[in-house]
Amino acid sequence: MSDALAGLGGSADAGELASPAPMPQESAAGATRSRFWARLRRNKVAMAGAVYLVLVVIAAIFAPLLTSHDETFATRFQDILFSPGEAGYVLGTDHVGRDILTRIFFGARYALIAGAEAVLVALVIGVPFGLAIGYFRGWADRIGMRFVEIVVAVPAVVMAMAIITGLGTGLTNAMLAIGLVFSMIITRLVRAEVFAAREEFYVDGARAAGASDRRVMWRHILPNVAPPLIVQTTLLFAQAVLAEAALSFLGIGADASQASWGRMLRDAELSIDRTIWPAIPPGIAIFLTVVAFNVFGDGLRDAFAREARGGRVGVGDVMPKERNAASAPPWPPGSDDPLLSLRGLDIVFPKPGEGTDMTVVRDVNLDIGRGEVMALVGESGSGKTITGLSLMGLVPDPGQASAESIVLDGRELVGMDFNDLRWIRGREIGIIFQEPSAALNPAYTVGRQVAEPLRVHLGMSKREARERVIELFTEVGIPDPHKRIDAFPHQFSGGMAQRVMIAMALSCEPKLLIADEPTTALDVTVQGQMLDLVSELARSRGVSVLLITHDLGVVADLADRVAVMYAGEIVETGRLADVFATPRHPYTEGLIAAIPRNEPRSGDLPTIPGVVPPPWAWPDRCHFADRCLYEAIECRRGPVELRPMGASLTRCERSHELELRGVQHASVVAIAGWEQPSGEPGSGGVMPGLPPGGVMPGLPPGEGGPA
Amino acid sequence: MLRLLVSRVLAAIPLMLMVATLVFFLAQLNPVDPAATIMGDDADLESLAEKRAELGIDRPLVVQYWDWLNSAVVGDLGTNWFNGEEITTELRDRIPVTLSMVFGSLIVALGIGSAFGVLAALKAGRWPDRTITVASSLGLAVPNFWIGLVLAYYVGVKLQWLPAIWPTTRPDSLARWIEALILPCVALGISASAAIARQARSSMIGVLQRDYVRTALAKGLPVRRVVSRHAIRNAAIPVVTLAGFQTSALIGGSIFVEFVFNVPGLGRFGVDAILRQNMPALLGFVMVTAAVVVVVNIVLDLSYAWLNPKVRPE
Repeated sequence: MSDALAGLGGSADAGELASPAPMPQESAAGATRSRFWARLRRNKVAMAGAVYLVLVVIAAIFAPLLTSHDETFATRFQDILFSPGEAGYVLGTDHVGRDILTRIFFGARYALIAGAEAVLVALVIGVPFGLAIGYFRGWADRIGMRFVEIVVAVPAVVMAMAIITGLGTGLTNAMLAIGLVFSMIITRLVRAEVFAAREEFYVDGARAAGASDRRVMWRHILPNVAPPLIVQTTLLFAQAVLAEAALSFLGIGADASQASWGRMLRDAELSIDRTIWPAIPPGIAIFLTVVAFNVFGDGLRDAFAREARGGRVGVGDVMPKERNAASAPPWPPGSDDPLLSLRGLDIVFPKPGEGTDMTVVRDVNLDIGRGEVMALVGESGSGKTITGLSLMGLVPDPGQASAESIVLDGRELVGMDFNDLRWIRGREIGIIFQEPSAALNPAYTVGRQVAEPLRVHLGMSKREARERVIELFTEVGIPDPHKRIDAFPHQFSGGMAQRVMIAMALSCEPKLLIADEPTTALDVTVQGQMLDLVSELARSRGVSVLLITHDLGVVADLADRVAVMYAGEIVETGRLADVFATPRHPYTEGLIAAIPRNEPRSGDLPTIPGVVPPPWAWPDRCHFADRCLYEAIECRRGPVELRPMGASLTRCERSHELELRGVQHASVVAIAGWEQPSGEPGSGGVMPGLPPGGVMPGLPPGEGGPA
Repeated sequence: MLRLLVSRVLAAIPLMLMVATLVFFLAQLNPVDPAATIMGDDADLESLAEKRAELGIDRPLVVQYWDWLNSAVVGDLGTNWFNGEEITTELRDRIPVTLSMVFGSLIVALGIGSAFGVLAALKAGRWPDRTITVASSLGLAVPNFWIGLVLAYYVGVKLQWLPAIWPTTRPDSLARWIEALILPCVALGISASAAIARQARSSMIGVLQRDYVRTALAKGLPVRRVVSRHAIRNAAIPVVTLAGFQTSALIGGSIFVEFVFNVPGLGRFGVDAILRQNMPALLGFVMVTAAVVVVVNIVLDLSYAWLNPKVRPE
């Protein structure tokens, strides 16, 4: 396929281009290596390609043994064009009476040798060139890339043709020319990978340790460049096979004495007024060989770095689940007529790399009163975000949520399909996400995005919606709303973008606002303002809030009630004052203890040892036992239920005997810096609550999980 | 927008100059004497020297280069060594033929490729996706000239539905022009459609997992609107990039398809130039294709600005 050849800016093999979702790259070392081969072996298509290629190699090597005719000279019947099978010619003969089968076998030689030549030239030139300009950057890079740019400014075939003019025609020269053009692709690839690798700390580390430039390049950078390079080389081999065929077809590659597949097609054209047949076998040979290289290359790529599996859109609704009377916990504490009442929520995801499911959220119950702020607290990977999303039917595919019931203001949401839920989303429940700049669509003005729900849900005209957006912007404190309404998201700071999100979430006057880590991604200096804004707007409108956060400081400041999540389960829930003053679960105690606060303490900030285990490692008993300071024999017996303890509910076997430490007043830990006069002793003053992006001090972030 | 256009055009000038320089000297590497190629083997030394003087290739390379460059800048690409025609005139007749083929197939490829790519992304992992993925990897592997041969034989010769070769007289009506273009465009466009479908699929899958798509869903928009307004526009950016590469690829590929269908376009001209060491023709051919690629890339840069406000000049 000559056009793919020409397009070789890595283009014809799509998926290489800057795809919006960067694929996770795994390092190809150690344990990952065996997984790499296992993944590759499981890929049947890639394996079929590999087997076919082995056969082609065998055909090429043993061509003289496998055939009984001569590749270049005619059989006895020069003028007869035998059909396949006729006179013992399995694939017939061509217009000058040569056995087609023989020529196909010999053609494999030309294809492979030509491909190898081009790829070798490309690698020998491209790899060092790319490494050098990527490593030294500056002028070397500018000049080098300028050169690459010049070469690729002309279609690859055309550039190859210009080089062939200089070198003279013939198969070797043609493939040398192709290799030279391909080397530009390799150069660009290697350079880009080196740039990426340079950003990694270990390269700096190696250099700081006194490694020489050459050593850093070969020992530290090249191994990282290798996976994409191997993939690209395989794909280029396919392109080279096509290029050989294409140029030989034009008569500037293989000459008349060489039985290349492309040359066979050229010969076939001469007799096309009589029959198409002689064009079929070489065409199929080229096609299959190229497919084989491509699927093998794709298989390698998938094995090195698996592509994000496509999540389907519009399938996140919650399935109904049988009511399990036994597991139904006693409830409240809460109001008698909650706005939202969630019962028995389970969320499962397929286990990575295996067919089985893993439960990431188990039997979650939640009540949110009218006008109440409910905080859902937990580390990353505890399942709190996905719990919030499930209320709107937005559990990302392939996750699957089921619940006994979700009643919002008297209406049952479980069992409604994705499209029915659309009238709940945006209208009854608004949501603010963690990363405001990622949550806004970069292609449209913010005004248009905030106006969208107004127009869809409330049927406002363009003009009405625009006026309402300006009002909303004013309310959330965006200065100069008349002008800012026409700006694009990238023209907003994180804090301002979050104000846009708040305006959007509140635009249709929802009954419930879900605030999913609304300040985590923001600069500390604006976090406080943002929380004040959210709580002020919510209270003035009587909106209930589900505040999802890892930050107990925020909780102490805003929440009426708290639910603490750990590893997919609610481990403790109750009124804010109760939970803070008398925690009933060791995990809650640990969280409270780990908050930096305004009181003199000595020693290290207390931490909880270990990390949240990934969902597939959750045991069938107390999830927290492995990290718990108070763990005892009974903790390992079986699943623990949420049971009343004092004024709260807790999921701890030993809660009745433990004396856990809390704080007398939640306000003690409401240290969020914005309310503290500066210079307060011991404020340590930087962190309101826990560090952004994560967990508690000393607690490395968990596996992330699907939340 | 105008400033963007002007700056891109200005940047293209040195690029074209470099291409010209590189190709000029590259093509001179060949030790074969063009005069001998023109005059044949039995020409005597004297007439060869005469011919060289006539062509101006007895002068130092740098002088030849400077001379060529000076006239090329004003649009004079020299004289064909073999038939004495003006290269510029010859190219002028051929450019529309090749371009209509290239753009015809590009438009078809973009239409078919994006539609199937988006469909595959929306049905990711299920049978429409698998079918499209397999079809596109097969489509990437078919040599376009082979498809051309097969189409010419079956559709042209056997069924006689469409002309198997380009009409020898210039097509006199738009209908005949289009008729003659269909088979070459299909042959040329198949692998481009496959490439675009693959890219559209993977960028759409990426975009659908973006936060802003979740936001759009959270606003309660219908799925169709989320896909058509919020996802496709962002997913289009890498597809447009690929379309740029593909245009360049299609110009290269058109050479082979022209060969099959006997189309009097740039490709045949270029191949002829190589086989006969026809320097002015080769240079003209390379410069014209480079110019087309440069223009296409400028158009793409402008369309990025529309698709992606971030690169729009303030």
